[in-house]
Amino acid sequence: MIWRLIALIVGACAILAGAVLVAHASPIESLQTLIHGSLGTPSAIAGTLKETTPLLICGLAVFIALRAGLFNIGVEGQLLAGACCCAIVATRFHGILGMVLGVLVGMLAGALWALPAGLIKAYRNGHEVITTIMLNNVAALFAAALVSGPIKDPKQADTATPYVDASSRLPWIYSNPPVQINFALVIGILLAVGMAIWLKKTVAGYELQAVGANRIAARFAGISPQKVTVVAMSISGALGGLAGAIQVLAYEGRFYDGFSPGYGFDALGVALLAGNSAYAVLPSSFLFGVLSKGGTALQIDGIPKGITTVVLGMLILIAAAIRYRKVSKDA
Amino acid sequence: MSFAVRLLGITKRFGTVTALDRVDLEVEQGAIHALVGENGAGKTTLMRVLYGAIAADEGSMEVEGNTVRFGTSREAIEAGVGMVSQHYGIIPELTCLQNLILGAEGGLVLKNKVAEERAQSLAARMGFTFDWHAEASTLSPAGAQKLEILKLLWRNARIMILDEPTAMLSPADAAALFESLHRLANEGATIILVTHRLPEVLDHCSRVTVLRGGRRIDEKLVVDTNGNELATLIVGEAIVEPDRSQPFEPGTTLLQITGLVVKGDHGEQALKEVNLTLRSGEVLGIAGVDGSGQRELFEAIAGLVQTQHGSMQMLGSDCLSWDAAERIRNGLRLIPEDRHAQGVVEDWSLDENAALGLQRLAPFANKGRVDGKARFEMAEQIADRFKTKRGGLKLPMSSLSGGNQQRFVAARALCLNAKLILAFQPARGLDIKGTQQVYDGIREACRNGSAALVVSFDLDELLEQCDRVVAMNNGKLLEPRAQDSLDRDAIGRLMVGAQ
Repeated sequence: MIWRLIALIVGACAILAGAVLVAHASPIESLQTLIHGSLGTPSAIAGTLKETTPLLICGLAVFIALRAGLFNIGVEGQLLAGACCCAIVATRFHGILGMVLGVLVGMLAGALWALPAGLIKAYRNGHEVITTIMLNNVAALFAAALVSGPIKDPKQADTATPYVDASSRLPWIYSNPPVQINFALVIGILLAVGMAIWLKKTVAGYELQAVGANRIAARFAGISPQKVTVVAMSISGALGGLAGAIQVLAYEGRFYDGFSPGYGFDALGVALLAGNSAYAVLPSSFLFGVLSKGGTALQIDGIPKGITTVVLGMLILIAAAIRYRKVSKDA
Repeated sequence: MSFAVRLLGITKRFGTVTALDRVDLEVEQGAIHALVGENGAGKTTLMRVLYGAIAADEGSMEVEGNTVRFGTSREAIEAGVGMVSQHYGIIPELTCLQNLILGAEGGLVLKNKVAEERAQSLAARMGFTFDWHAEASTLSPAGAQKLEILKLLWRNARIMILDEPTAMLSPADAAALFESLHRLANEGATIILVTHRLPEVLDHCSRVTVLRGGRRIDEKLVVDTNGNELATLIVGEAIVEPDRSQPFEPGTTLLQITGLVVKGDHGEQALKEVNLTLRSGEVLGIAGVDGSGQRELFEAIAGLVQTQHGSMQMLGSDCLSWDAAERIRNGLRLIPEDRHAQGVVEDWSLDENAALGLQRLAPFANKGRVDGKARFEMAEQIADRFKTKRGGLKLPMSSLSGGNQQRFVAARALCLNAKLILAFQPARGLDIKGTQQVYDGIREACRNGSAALVVSFDLDELLEQCDRVVAMNNGKLLEPRAQDSLDRDAIGRLMVGAQ
């Protein structure tokens, strides 16, 4: 029943066009602005890729948790924990040491921030959605407190840490300002490929997905759902922390109050849109990157940036409709 | 002679598969009519057509002389046709009374007092007693079955379809159920009994219709037929009796359980000082009414629950400190009770499911890595072993019928150095041939040095297939005297707790 799908897409486009018209703009022009602003020039593409990087790594964090049957809403908090701790450590060292320590400490912080949610889920059956949301708030407020006091750079007015030494920053793989592409993107792509292979080719990946697909059958297969839950949540948190650390070391150079515009939340959409393939997180995060960068261009044109969020919502709905249509046909 | 139900030339196709091919079924008013056949013969499909769950492609239906066409099962129940399925539709959190009236409350406002009076009179008519205000979770399987029958009476059903009603019942409960069914039939109700159990057909039904491969093969008066003839009609060839002439000598002790105590979900003692010895070569049956502690025993041996007291030796080593994975590594294999929830991942392909439970063992794994090629080959072997009907190994498990999933799960447990086989209703949902294949597979493994412990609620199946049978009652494991180890009466008494 392909016509239903077509109707769905046409309907979604009509709603979008209507929303743009309400904002007193032309739908066609808006689309042009959006695409030109995100893909039209080399520097626009570089900006889109910069937006894509944290979405990609956070998307993978949500994705791996989903494979284990966990809905990690806490990637935002884990990203903040990772970024904050990375900045604290990396500013105290120079050169490659600062970079490596920053990444490791960021991952560790993210993992530790997710760990309570994993433990509570595994051993007390407390729902991870609730616990991770609460941990998000704790992370945001705690990081804000730290950065306005103990770890604040006394030499500047901003509530921010000092800058990480240039020698500890992640290198550019292409730099011709304003067009710059950071090594961080390569890390993200390698992570996606590595995760896809790990899930498919290792017994540990098989067991993680078994728990996600059928917890009870996994238990009968000699797998401990508790252990897998804790491990998966920690890996997810470590990736969230890594995304934060990379954001510090690649782009921002420091940690400050209001550090993330909500990458951890957008990552939920990235992972849902990707479905059940880690490779699909690549195009999915790129699409989110395009809309995020293009949204900024729209804003300059006087169209509310929120319209891109509406687009994303529609995309996720359509993806879900396609997926569940398949499931109900199987049943 | 008046017919309560006349189905003529019913044809139903699913895609390219013809599930029912011009099937006729005529059921006399006031009769208990048996419908028998193998898995996939079309019994359930035919009944689903009759009670309106699916629509036939061709053919006509008459109920009590009126031509009918049911679009929904609500229309069927209005015409007086109701069905009790294998999986009871009872909600454990509601009271018995609430369950009884659910969906047929007869108005927007509940009249509990009136409802209870009517419920009471229906129950009295059938000779049942119920505590109407108790939660349905407190019902025994037999009680749940009775409540299901009352639900049909509540809805004024005059034609009742019962699908494998005795699958979960003890012999005594099954006998009581048939007594009530006869009472209903005498009052003019018509009963269609879908069953795998030929003794029930011969003892309680007046006519029997045999389906095979979606066609009506024959219809007989029960007085004109016998078990052998029916079995041959069902399978389409003569049945080979299991060969039990081979003498066997039990070998070394593979499983020794002493004084095992396990707590149940509500803190009660679910296993009370259970002692059990299982030797190599042996197929040991555990009989008992559902909920007598079989599940806890199974999970304790599998390493899935904490034990309170007692000891357990598996293959000569103390195994209580081993987790489930360690037990599997040592050769324990499971055929779990509920294949759907415990045995497979339905969204995964057959190929992926082939490794489930064996995923850490060679050849499925090699130093922590999945060996995809070996897994695919094993999947093929597993699916071929008991002739799992399938579209392809890369298709999801959910594309298989329940019986074929069971074949797959049973074959998987036997495919790789099984030393100790733990099987909970290994033939659940299988037909005569499939049942025999699975038990033959278990027996073959045992004759090669393994041992098997088989839990079933079907005592006759255990007596036929096992070397000896013990019974569980209320958490205790009771062994008959050595000379009674396959004696139906002695074990039946143990099942209800009498010595």
